[in-house]
Amino acid sequence: MKEPLKVGVAGVRGVVGASMTPRVAASFAQAFGVFLGRGAVVVGRDTRPSGVMFERAVVAGLQSVGARPLMVGVAPTPSLLMAVPTAGARGGIAITASHNGAEWNAMKFIDRDGLFLSPARADELLDLYHQRDFPLVAEPDLQPERPMEGVVEKHLTRVLNYVDAAAIRRRRFRVAVDACNGAGAPWIEVFLRDGLGCETVVIHGEPTGIFEREPEPLPAHLTALGRAVVEHRCNIGFAQDPDADRLAIVDECGRPIGEDYTLVFAVAQVLSAHSLGPVVVNLTASRAVDEIARAAGCPCIRTRVGEIHVSAAMVHHGAVVGGEHNGGVIVPAIHPCRDSFTGMALVLERMAATEKRVSEMRAEIPGYHVAKIKIPMALSETVAALRRLRKRYVDRHPILLDGIFLDLGESWVHIRRSMTEPVLRITAEALTPEEAEALVERFRTEIMVGPQPNGNV
Amino acid sequence: MKTLRLSNFGLRGFVGESLTPSVALDYVSAFAAYIERGRVLLGRDPRASSPMLHAAAVAALMSAGCEIEDFGVCPTPILQFYAPRRAAAGAISISGAHHAVGWNTLMLVGPDGGPLDPAVGEQVLDGFHAGAFADCDARFIGMRREVRDYADSYFDTLAQLVDAEAIRAARYRIIADPAGGAGCAFLEPWARRFGVDLITVNGDPTPFPARDPEPRPRTARSIASLMRPLGAAAGFVFSSDMGRVSLVTEKGEPLSEEMTFALIADHILRHRPGPVVTNCCTTRAIDDLAARYGALLIKTPVGQAHVIAALRDEAAILGGEGSGSAALAAFSLGFDGFLVMTLVLESLAQSGATLSERARTLPRYAIVKRSVPCGPGEGYRAIERVRAKIERETSDRWDETDGLRVDDEDGWVHVRASRTEPRVRVISEAHDRGVAEERAERWIHWMEIDS
Repeated sequence: MKEPLKVGVAGVRGVVGASMTPRVAASFAQAFGVFLGRGAVVVGRDTRPSGVMFERAVVAGLQSVGARPLMVGVAPTPSLLMAVPTAGARGGIAITASHNGAEWNAMKFIDRDGLFLSPARADELLDLYHQRDFPLVAEPDLQPERPMEGVVEKHLTRVLNYVDAAAIRRRRFRVAVDACNGAGAPWIEVFLRDGLGCETVVIHGEPTGIFEREPEPLPAHLTALGRAVVEHRCNIGFAQDPDADRLAIVDECGRPIGEDYTLVFAVAQVLSAHSLGPVVVNLTASRAVDEIARAAGCPCIRTRVGEIHVSAAMVHHGAVVGGEHNGGVIVPAIHPCRDSFTGMALVLERMAATEKRVSEMRAEIPGYHVAKIKIPMALSETVAALRRLRKRYVDRHPILLDGIFLDLGESWVHIRRSMTEPVLRITAEALTPEEAEALVERFRTEIMVGPQPNGNV
Repeated sequence: MKTLRLSNFGLRGFVGESLTPSVALDYVSAFAAYIERGRVLLGRDPRASSPMLHAAAVAALMSAGCEIEDFGVCPTPILQFYAPRRAAAGAISISGAHHAVGWNTLMLVGPDGGPLDPAVGEQVLDGFHAGAFADCDARFIGMRREVRDYADSYFDTLAQLVDAEAIRAARYRIIADPAGGAGCAFLEPWARRFGVDLITVNGDPTPFPARDPEPRPRTARSIASLMRPLGAAAGFVFSSDMGRVSLVTEKGEPLSEEMTFALIADHILRHRPGPVVTNCCTTRAIDDLAARYGALLIKTPVGQAHVIAALRDEAAILGGEGSGSAALAAFSLGFDGFLVMTLVLESLAQSGATLSERARTLPRYAIVKRSVPCGPGEGYRAIERVRAKIERETSDRWDETDGLRVDDEDGWVHVRASRTEPRVRVISEAHDRGVAEERAERWIHWMEIDS
């Protein structure tokens, strides 16, 4: 099949109309309803037009097995995660393909603790889905759907209570935001202007789900935001993805600093202004995080890439801050999930505390530059390619937690397969952008062509 | 296991057993593939399972890129009325209709408001079986728009069809029982339009039918005792979808549901004796009336779909069934309880007679209806056994339009296998109730069903 249905730890994801259809969504909702047992299930979505359709299919599936749908409507994914324990629900379904393009949609499954399903629990759900023998309830036991109000407001209040909102307000920052026509769009003004006293310039702020920019907040996609920052002389630019869990930053000159460094700012701010404690990040996160943690005397723990791996480890280790390289900031005191609003509040708080420009803050973490590419590759091929690399570099003591991670002294490279797309991802960090680029290119060639004669690293 | 009945015109099954969201999604997807991104009207009743089936239908229609006009809780005949008037490519009505708790139906409606054309229905069914759906990519996902306040225009058209002034001038008081179904919110506006003093029983929408939703004399008892004390001129007992009606006279006498169509046929044909359609097991009163007014009578298999198909294709003016339903081709191609209620009052107003007086002028027979449970698939064999018992020399009086019917001068007996349940239905009509009952029992005996 040309467009695969990707079923895995991260939920079920596919191309709308090809592999992701209402029938798939209804069946998964039935399996999830059976998995949770009868009770309330929170249902929300991002702004994609296909989300309305999948929401209806999910409602039908949940009701048929006796679950009670609590309908949030359009909401950031972090708000939905928080809503599950708040409502005392048995679980939740977020209908969002996150940073994937408009042609995609997906369902992510939330456990009763407000975290995504653990890999072991996700396996159980898949078993149920494949068995297809859903015990249906009789008509008198069907539960009507009910709206659930105030979910996003509660989320934003938690964030505002965590940071020193008064200090941020005093600075009256001017902030440009690219909301990617996503689930964060309806609340961005309320949060930044009313909550944090910022003047706001919002682009792509209509929550239409028809994305006016590429939805992944990569530097190449943030030119419009950069222009807005310069034109309106903003202190900073923020870019969200469609479900508002990831955050990228543009400096006061309109230059994207790279989504990898959002996490670095956030970790630095939590450790310096809020609390000391373990830091948990994924393998691909910038090594600047280790340095900041070490300086603060805090352990830094690495996990596989993927929100659930980081969140679960944070809960396990009692971490105070952490997240993912892709702009996913996590503060467990707010909720152990990636949250762009938490990221924005912490970065603004850091700007207020240090009285520095964004470019100056970025310059304080020198010698860290990231380069990344993805190579389209079938799942079976990624396994073979990774096996060859692991064998070849066995004497370099690679970390094999997730693909292969090679520590090269002043630089590193991480090669792993994506959990959401049939691609192999190569990420490298080095002292200069050029070195990082060269590293990525070197390994791309090695994977595609074979080991290079002068290619020792 | 309660069976799933898939036909050219709809999907009926038992929720939690045969009627699942998956089946509903597949069936509507097959319909939507035929519609090809056209406009589809969607309505439902207030039954507990209807929102779930509605959700599945919306998802399937959106996926196929259809434009959904959502009428919300809406009687099936009103949805049928609007299909041609809103240039729809089709419509879907979700309703438990006259069925008990647990049953529900997705009825497919064509662009003319009638049940789906059988050939089209066959294509839909083929698509369902083959899994041939037309899911669009993300750019072409259909939209759903809520349609509200559509009742006025419907009642306007109805008022133009009849002598509304005569009804209004008579200032009738009536009692209506919509069974807590889809019609609840529409009775009050109807009453205002026709100047009727309305008293409702079971008038609030409920997730479970407030009474047995099949209009019959026994289900009419609740209002029968109220007729005299409240001085009501007529009582109307509806199915959940407002498709069927049975009548109660001003004296509190529940009329057989067979009398509903007889009264409407008498009222229409006396002014305009055009071709009339009914099914093969409706009271012989219809035959007598057609003969009385010199109208052509066309008989079809049982079911709205068959009657309406003939009404449309044979250019008839009126169609209806003994279950208490009627459609006027000039108004809409759907069995319509509001139409029936309005025509009954028009008939009373124009004749100046009471309902019991009007009923007395109609040919009346004793009709006995029996429903015998049997094993799955046994129904057809049971009918074979009856066929074998009946004397050969009567075979020139056999009618096999739907099941088997045998007529003689005094009456007739009809047997057919239910399409929705493992049951055989026997109807016997004669001048004398004892005779009708005796014949029905004899046929049931011949069926040799162990139970």
